[in-house]
Amino acid sequence: MSEHHVVVDNLVKTYPGAATPSVDHVSFALPKGEMLALLGPSGCGKTTILRMIAGLIEPTSGAIQLNGREISQTPVHKRNMGMVFQAYALFPHMTVAGNVAFGLEMRGIPHSERGPKVQRALDMVKLGHLGDRRVTQLSGGQQQRCAIARSLVIEPELLLLDEPLSNLDAKLRDEMRDEIREIQSRTGVTAIFVTHDQDEALSMADRLAVMSAGKIEQIGTPREIFDAPANEFVAGFIGAGNFLSGRVTAPGEAEIEGLGPLRFEAPARIGSQVNLMVRPHRFKLAAPGPNAFTGQVDSLVYRGQILTLGISVGGKRLTADLHTHAGHLPAKGETVTLAVAPGDVTFLSEAAA
Amino acid sequence: MSRFLWHGLIALIYLFLLAPILVVVIVSFDTRQYLAFPPESLSFGSYAKVFANQTFISAFGRSVMIGLAVGLAAVVIGTLLSMALVRYRFRGREGVNFLILAPFLVPHIVLAVGIMLVLAPMQLLDSYTGIILAHLGITVPYTVRTITMSLMSVDRRVEEAAMVHGATPFAVFRRITLPLIAPGLIAGGVIAFLISFDEATISLFIVSVKVSTLPTEIYNYLEVSTDPQIAALSVLLIAISIVVVIAVEKLIGLRRAL
Amino acid sequence: MSATGAPAQQITGSNRFMLLILLVPGLLALMTTFLLPMIWLARASFSTSSMAAFGGGMTLEHYHAALTDPFYWKVAMNTLSLGVTVSFFAVILSYPIALFLTRSTSRWRGVLTALAVAPLLTSAVVRTYGWMVILGDRGVINGTLQALSLTTDPVRLSNNTFGATVALVEILMPYSILAMLAGFGRLNPQLEEAASMLGASKLRVFWRIILPLSLPGILTGALLVFVLAISAFVTPRLMGGGRVFVLGTEVFQEATVTLNWPLAAALSVVLLALFSSVIVIYQRALRRLEA
Repeated sequence: MSEHHVVVDNLVKTYPGAATPSVDHVSFALPKGEMLALLGPSGCGKTTILRMIAGLIEPTSGAIQLNGREISQTPVHKRNMGMVFQAYALFPHMTVAGNVAFGLEMRGIPHSERGPKVQRALDMVKLGHLGDRRVTQLSGGQQQRCAIARSLVIEPELLLLDEPLSNLDAKLRDEMRDEIREIQSRTGVTAIFVTHDQDEALSMADRLAVMSAGKIEQIGTPREIFDAPANEFVAGFIGAGNFLSGRVTAPGEAEIEGLGPLRFEAPARIGSQVNLMVRPHRFKLAAPGPNAFTGQVDSLVYRGQILTLGISVGGKRLTADLHTHAGHLPAKGETVTLAVAPGDVTFLSEAAA
Repeated sequence: MSRFLWHGLIALIYLFLLAPILVVVIVSFDTRQYLAFPPESLSFGSYAKVFANQTFISAFGRSVMIGLAVGLAAVVIGTLLSMALVRYRFRGREGVNFLILAPFLVPHIVLAVGIMLVLAPMQLLDSYTGIILAHLGITVPYTVRTITMSLMSVDRRVEEAAMVHGATPFAVFRRITLPLIAPGLIAGGVIAFLISFDEATISLFIVSVKVSTLPTEIYNYLEVSTDPQIAALSVLLIAISIVVVIAVEKLIGLRRAL
Repeated sequence: MSATGAPAQQITGSNRFMLLILLVPGLLALMTTFLLPMIWLARASFSTSSMAAFGGGMTLEHYHAALTDPFYWKVAMNTLSLGVTVSFFAVILSYPIALFLTRSTSRWRGVLTALAVAPLLTSAVVRTYGWMVILGDRGVINGTLQALSLTTDPVRLSNNTFGATVALVEILMPYSILAMLAGFGRLNPQLEEAASMLGASKLRVFWRIILPLSLPGILTGALLVFVLAISAFVTPRLMGGGRVFVLGTEVFQEATVTLNWPLAAALSVVLLALFSSVIVIYQRALRRLEA
């Protein structure tokens, strides 16, 4: 465990009077320089974890280690972390430079050394020319940059970001997403960020922890989480999916109720009940055959590069994402056949019949 | 037409409301020994007399000192109480809230008799300590109100941001919280100063000779005479009030503060 | 979580000490300036010693004096009638102002509001003096009447109940305006427009919509003025010229001139009882109004 920069071990937070813990025995470890996303629906406990690491909330039990030191009893101001708050929480009565210099000042860095450090931090977030501005005069994106500069100028051992993009409009969000990622890899700072947006998590994080009801459901790289979700919750929360359950009739083949046989690549005992999933983009238009389902198109949503269509087959609805450049595009009411390769069927769980 | 009548009525009521102040300003430029209207000639004679009147000058000085002490103490106590009430949930919180509001609910004259009875055995009648304590009770509710309002509008995340980035609890208060609640603090202090500075009812029970305040001196003077000197003095008091009104209005808005 | 951030802290060991530091100075101050005075007042009203709350034995004689002496009965009646008159006229005069300020969309509204409320922050002694100038024998009104040769002898406007009433109405009006402004939140121009569209005349809109909706605010204003009027003493004393006897002036007389502190305390308790019963009646009335 010692090679890990951040170790969270069996962390629990139960608020007084609450029946169930908000954070329930959460453990994870993070190597130096990595970026971890805590992803989950609101109320799942992800922000509580972040605030416990920061020291803003006292854990009920469990340990937090940073760089090999146990810090769960260390006061907030001695933990040497940087944090970007959801609504930035800039000091409204100070200038941009004053905000950035604050952490240095608190660390007793002399005035003469502060100036260059602040300027470098502001240059890094492209605010070098706005140091004298009041933070209340900044646009949303600029406030975000200022908050990032403020948290990085102190060279924190850990950077925490609480829903850092949720207050920005869509276009700025994409821009800042790339920029945060770029700054993080350039400075090499270890970072944990909290989000409820799967796109954000998938595109920014080295690793993802998907949470629900105070527990981590799965932790892994974005690819692992997307392609091999550990359970129905993760599969459903990350990306869309066609969830199919049926009985295993032969090795690698299940009889799906209403659809017929579906082949998949996972060991499962004959006679057991399995839950399988097919991502919409895994379906291709094909001629009728094995692992293919034929039905009438009853919904069509055109999204530019992608066309999402829904068909009804034997009382089931299947959704498929087709690339719009892929030749013929079906129309509503047309009968089409959707096929999926057995290797593209995700095996979720198995239960004895 | 009815609109015209309506606005005329409003103007008349405003005239009634402001009449004593307007009249006092006019009379202050009269110099006769007795009260009469209209003034025969206008001059600054009454003002000159006020500035030569040692009784008024020293009472003015005492009132300013008492007002400043009361304002300062009420702000400190108000800040502490507001922090407790806004930032903590504790048993007895409702009781504290009631105790703060209670002086609003008791007539000042009743409070005055009670305070007089408490101060007398401690030899604090007609002392600075006594009058400052007495005024503190009726001004703390105001400072708690204005400071609580400011404190509730402070974003806790801003304080947390300061903590995370290395500020000790004391540094958070001094560098973040205090500057952010400054408008409420100053407004509350200014109101507390003015209430103490203008207060006559309780003061008349507590002070006699040694620490007589300007309002009590004016009261005692008016029991005997009503000459224009008092008008000149009143104009000075009104001027101070106007400064305070403008300051409070600019800081947090007059209606929210009172 | 709310926009202002984290919820207030629960009490744990470490911040219990902090809480104590925050509370103790304020509670000590309020104790000596409010709680103790109230207890001393109650005790002194039974005291047999004239200048000390806790000296001597217990007696009911001061209440006996306060409640059986015909003079104090008259004083109590004077106080009540002054309170009723003052609050009646203060409400009549404040209502148009409050209505005007609530409905106004003028850019002067802020200034006019400040102008209506600001007199609160000028000394009551100063404003009483202003009324002495206006209502005095050689004051503004009598001066004008004589200059117009309408009268030769001055009309008695001050040194009597009339003068005290007029001055108190003006001095206490800002309180009722403030109370009404706070209470008129439910007054919505769209309601009036809706009523007019349904065929109500301007007068009927006032009677059926505006007045009922503003009644709680009016009531609060009236109460505030009433309780302040019955406990006033500076204005009745100066404007009454020693001829107006109300509970306030008598309490002052006993406390500072006659130096009969137990009687002053007993009269204060009577005043407080009057005060409290009015507030209780008011709350009953308001509850019925809102039910």
